[in-house]
Amino acid sequence: MAIEAGTHAEPDAGDGSGDEKLPLGLTLLAGAVAALVVLPLAWLVVTAAGIDPESALATLLRPRTLQIVVNSVVMVTLVTVISVVIAVPLAYLTTRTDLPFPRFWTVAVSMPLVIPSYIGAFAFVSAFGPNGELQSLLAPVGVESLPSVYGLEGTVLVITLYTYPYVYLSARASLKTMDERLIDAARTLNHSPREAFRRVVLPQVTPAVTAGSLLVALYALSDFGTPAIMRYDVFTRVIFVNRFELDFAALLSLQLVAATLFILAIESRVRGREVQSGGGGRREVRHSLGWVKWLATAACGALVTLALVVPIGILGLWLVRAGPTGDSGRFSIVYVLNSVGVSAAAALVAALASIPVAYLAVRHRGRVAAVFERATYVGYAVPGVVIGLALVFFGARYTPAVYQTLPLLVFAYVVRFLPIAVGSTRASLLGVDPDLQAAARVLGRSATGAFRSVTLPLVAPGILAGAALVFLTTMKELPATLMLRPTGFETLVIRVWRAESAGYVGAAAVPALILVLVSALSMVVLLSQEGGDAVSPGAGETGARSDSQQTGDTADTPPQSGESGP
Amino acid sequence: MTEDTTPPTDRRTDTTTSRLSRRRVLATTGLAGATALAGCGGLFGGGDDNQEGDDGDDDEADPDVVGYAREGRGLPGGTPVSEMPELSGQLTVYSGRGEFLIGTLMDFFREEYPDFDLQIRYGGAADLANQIRTEGQASPADVFFTVNAGILGLLANDDRLQSMPDDVLGLGREGYQDPDGTWIGTSGRVRTIPYNTDELSEGDLPDDIMALPEQDALQNNIGWAPTYGSNQGFVTVMRLIEGEEATREWLRGMLDLGVQEYSDEFRVAQAVADGEILAGLTNHYYVVRVLDGRPDAPLDMTFTENDAGSFFNVAGAGVVDSSDSPDMAANFIRHLLSAEAQDYFARSATFEYPMIPEVDPIDRLPGFDELNPPDLDFAEFARADINETITLMEEEGVL
Repeated sequence: MAIEAGTHAEPDAGDGSGDEKLPLGLTLLAGAVAALVVLPLAWLVVTAAGIDPESALATLLRPRTLQIVVNSVVMVTLVTVISVVIAVPLAYLTTRTDLPFPRFWTVAVSMPLVIPSYIGAFAFVSAFGPNGELQSLLAPVGVESLPSVYGLEGTVLVITLYTYPYVYLSARASLKTMDERLIDAARTLNHSPREAFRRVVLPQVTPAVTAGSLLVALYALSDFGTPAIMRYDVFTRVIFVNRFELDFAALLSLQLVAATLFILAIESRVRGREVQSGGGGRREVRHSLGWVKWLATAACGALVTLALVVPIGILGLWLVRAGPTGDSGRFSIVYVLNSVGVSAAAALVAALASIPVAYLAVRHRGRVAAVFERATYVGYAVPGVVIGLALVFFGARYTPAVYQTLPLLVFAYVVRFLPIAVGSTRASLLGVDPDLQAAARVLGRSATGAFRSVTLPLVAPGILAGAALVFLTTMKELPATLMLRPTGFETLVIRVWRAESAGYVGAAAVPALILVLVSALSMVVLLSQEGGDAVSPGAGETGARSDSQQTGDTADTPPQSGESGP
Repeated sequence: MTEDTTPPTDRRTDTTTSRLSRRRVLATTGLAGATALAGCGGLFGGGDDNQEGDDGDDDEADPDVVGYAREGRGLPGGTPVSEMPELSGQLTVYSGRGEFLIGTLMDFFREEYPDFDLQIRYGGAADLANQIRTEGQASPADVFFTVNAGILGLLANDDRLQSMPDDVLGLGREGYQDPDGTWIGTSGRVRTIPYNTDELSEGDLPDDIMALPEQDALQNNIGWAPTYGSNQGFVTVMRLIEGEEATREWLRGMLDLGVQEYSDEFRVAQAVADGEILAGLTNHYYVVRVLDGRPDAPLDMTFTENDAGSFFNVAGAGVVDSSDSPDMAANFIRHLLSAEAQDYFARSATFEYPMIPEVDPIDRLPGFDELNPPDLDFAEFARADINETITLMEEEGVL
């Protein structure tokens, strides 16, 4: 609420490094990253600028274009709100209550993230569509038809199921590190548990939830596969239908970018209340749920069934029906290695690139840092088709040496998924007391040396978590891969997509299942890192912090934190 | 390996399981078994080669998939590969035709010519065409091979294709190539109306596509795939033959009829076979493919006469203008018109119409001369602006 713009604009004098406003090297580095990832958008602007303004305006004001705007806004809003409604209680249940098998549920409810939403959509149509599996199952008991899965409902259902984990993971991480004593304090002040939750817990998790919601909203906005399969007209689907008209596609894409900027602005307002938290939170207090425990378990079970069991079951069914060998004659382990290889490269580059951007944003609040950080988010919402086209244009004409090579492909992934890494790195930096690095400086380390020896080890788990998420997301990426991969370079998603779009669902099953399996393994690694503490925006290594660091009791904490503190 | 590539794996019918087990047996008994299966395949009207054709796509039990006689079918006529100039060196093909459909044929070429480094970039036809346009003169593509002549025309209109030698152009059917020789049809498909035989008979459907919206019996029971390229091509033809106003009226009529939208035409054909809808609008081979996977499905197709509803479209190929090796690119396209390749297109998973007169389509289909396509200059269709069609469809609320 407190208008954060003012806060952000103020150079953060109290961040423990008062002698520098914007360090030149860091700023240049962050600026270079931001400029590079925004570069592909220049193509959009150039193309769209070529359209006669009058007809551009007419196009944008067509009733159909307006309808698309409304459709997209409604869809994105519903997906985001429902994701938060599902994810926040889920995060609370698995971190702060005596829900049985918390580790199992943590893994299980995070897993939907490994399933590409368009595979989910295919599976849901197959399962719940007219004459789908469920209907065939129910036919003997007289069920003639089921409610349609197509349209807004189906689109929202599928995208929500496969994106809510973004909110869940960040909310969980922030709950794990939350200082339990704050709740105790609130309780001492005679607040009911519910009130303590609202006044203490909620403000603490809000920044993390907001960051997660941002990823959800941007994903929903840029998802092409699901709305196409669910027959719901949003930007991406219409851009696809109009792909012969590059300039019109560019125009719509710019509109999409505008929508992204709008979402970023909203996020920025909410984030204003962010807390640069100190440590604490070590004491594990789990609230007893009583009989609600079983209700909660059942809810978790239902969610997992819908999001995981249904699609994997359908894939299994396709596999079995395709015969014991299915498509394996044309399947090769090389596809797996290719997918893993490029995804790992993208994760590594994104993680490295996220450090200067996030560091600048956290330690040097101000317009420049904020603009750089926000710039990295734009690529995430521009559909992969558009990023792909832009890089084809630039690549073939201006950098033919890298065109259709792996470096350019990896660059495209970084453009699209850098914000995932930035978000995670940024959140973990927020959890590190700047005084520690200042202390190292006092003891004679250079700025870089202090960062490397003090801050980096503390934020490493967060950076790693971000890298793992980039890895997962890259594994699933389709359109940019299609356009930019070297000829003959085959990945799992490309196999799945090709088989699906040719109607060979049996042949899609093997690569789809392997895709899910590899992603699932990386998710398990992600979650088990730091003994379960992981996905960690700020979760790791709290013990290294000074215990006296309490939210709101240091001079350098942004003033907003006062709202959430005692 | 005992590969059982059942192309359109059907996930819906309960007959699948039994068919599957039969196939497993088949895999061990090889070709003799295939003939037996064809024999008991019963309902699949044609003959052995129909059943054979589908299994054959990339069936391990049949290493001779391309270019050799198979059950019930003699050696294909036309020019065999052995009589064509050899291929060698490196060639990049952008293929809008999927690997599942042409992969075997491409492997056949690779095996024929060990010195031939054939790089194939598979993708959506429009995506690849856009990619070539976006790449400009730096495009690595030598050949553009695709399902949709309209997209070839799009590239030709942009002067992105170059003419081929007459001896290549002379191989295909007259009329199904660019007047300037920049692309040539390599296989064909015809528009059709699939219908559910449990509910309808052929006589229930009009032989005039323009009368379709008046079929009250189809209210809320007919399906199409308006975003699908072939459907947009069909609307383009209607626009060219009947004019814009009649086409708009027809589209409105279809919407009033409660036409159901699907994401592709294979799904339309599936839905008809499932009884989800009574009829649809698709290319002929989707019907054959569904029947191929489910011989018992209550599905058949009918053709309209001399109008957009029976339009004959072709897949084709052209040499990209920026190609470094235009001669080899043209020679590659010549190979697509070889006896072996044409036979493959006719019998492989797509069951298309061959484009050399010496090779016949599968028995289930009417012969090329029995079709009643509209009286329309094919080149005019290929040059037509698909964007006008899309805009028109958008304006009528179809897209």
